[in-house]
Amino acid sequence: MVLNMMRIILPLLSIRIVFSNSAYIILAGSIAIGFWILFSVFDQLLFFLPVLVFYLPRDAITGFILSNITAVIMGIVISMNVYMLKHSKLKISKSLFSGSTIGILSSTCASCSSLGFLLISTFGGLGIVALNFLSIYQILLRLVSIVILIWALYSMHKKITKSCCILNGLDSIRNNTDRKDTGKHMM
Amino acid sequence: MNTNKDSSSKRIKKINNDTKLIFTVVLVFLSGIQGLISFSSSSSSSSYLGGQVFALQEHINDNEKDKNNNTLSLSNLIKQGSPHLGDLSAPITIIDFSDFQCYLCARYVKETEPIIYETYIQRGKVNLVFKHLPNRGSDSMGAAIAAQCTNDQGKFWEYHRILYTNQKPIDSGWVSKDNLKKFASKITGLNMSNFNSCLDSEKYKSLVEKDIAFGSSSFGFQDTPSFIIVNNDGSKPEILRGAHPFPSFKALIDKKIVQK
Repeated sequence: MVLNMMRIILPLLSIRIVFSNSAYIILAGSIAIGFWILFSVFDQLLFFLPVLVFYLPRDAITGFILSNITAVIMGIVISMNVYMLKHSKLKISKSLFSGSTIGILSSTCASCSSLGFLLISTFGGLGIVALNFLSIYQILLRLVSIVILIWALYSMHKKITKSCCILNGLDSIRNNTDRKDTGKHMM
Repeated sequence: MNTNKDSSSKRIKKINNDTKLIFTVVLVFLSGIQGLISFSSSSSSSSYLGGQVFALQEHINDNEKDKNNNTLSLSNLIKQGSPHLGDLSAPITIIDFSDFQCYLCARYVKETEPIIYETYIQRGKVNLVFKHLPNRGSDSMGAAIAAQCTNDQGKFWEYHRILYTNQKPIDSGWVSKDNLKKFASKITGLNMSNFNSCLDSEKYKSLVEKDIAFGSSSFGFQDTPSFIIVNNDGSKPEILRGAHPFPSFKALIDKKIVQK
């Protein structure tokens, strides 16, 4: 039962396909770390000056957990996207608008919830209004972004495994044709 | 044999191509992050991300300076009516620009301020001065005026703590006039009729507006909490933007103490 649930939730096959190449593991790791830094800076948990310091105040624990989850899923989804771009015959313009990219954009936007100072200093009064909205709905926005990313992960999984099936199908057709040809030659 | 060699060289080529692509993507991504960080650094005169700390003497308009004293000197700040905490002879002053509705200010008050108090204020090394920067919502001004009213009776810091402890979402009505009076009634020894008349007449509205002008036009503060760490005489000010943890304050304060 649990295993079945896991099968539905975790697109293991596509993850196995993509991350069999260690370069994609490095890519996913770097992206996850990059987003972790970005989220922590915007959440005012990580400071570079006057001293490099990270701290986790009590009020930020939930947000921090959610941003960690987002960063990890982002790493996986983006590297799967790169894999798709490299291996699928879709045109870049098409694949850029695939579900996963929309998921990434939404999630990045959800992380704007902690872009407080940047918003205020860039947009002044309007930035304050935006910041108030984002700070009130920060957790909700992050949850929504995680759901979108999971959906993006699932859609990537479907695409990757589908292309596998097609390739397998093509291979088997090719093999059959080759066999027939060889048979003809044999005859 | 040849076919095997060909396929292995193809595979090596493919792996090389993959690695190249991935490293390019990583580089682009990292430079994007760096770009974003540096953009936010340049978007305000000083940034909370990278360059939070900078000398700002040049930002203080000459006409705003007191002829005999620096605008930021402790005596001047007290003269302006700003609430303060600590020993008046302390060599360093922290000027805190905050809004009672700002959740990052509440974070600073709950997490960092108590450690600063124990480490520096109680030991007579630092003075804390509060400046109002109520810009988070329409109810912020009322909260600032109410807090300033408690300062008349020497109860500002108690009221300050009560407000931050009871903070709710911005403009949700938690700092309505009635609630501000309820919060004040929790303070023992506060004369409520004086407080109520002060709040109802908006006695300190002009003081709060002066604080806002002081913070925003002189230093470009729009974001809260923002801090100026300065020598007692108002010299060598440095800015910290954001709800920094204690180590950031410690680094600046210790540097100033060593310099003295």
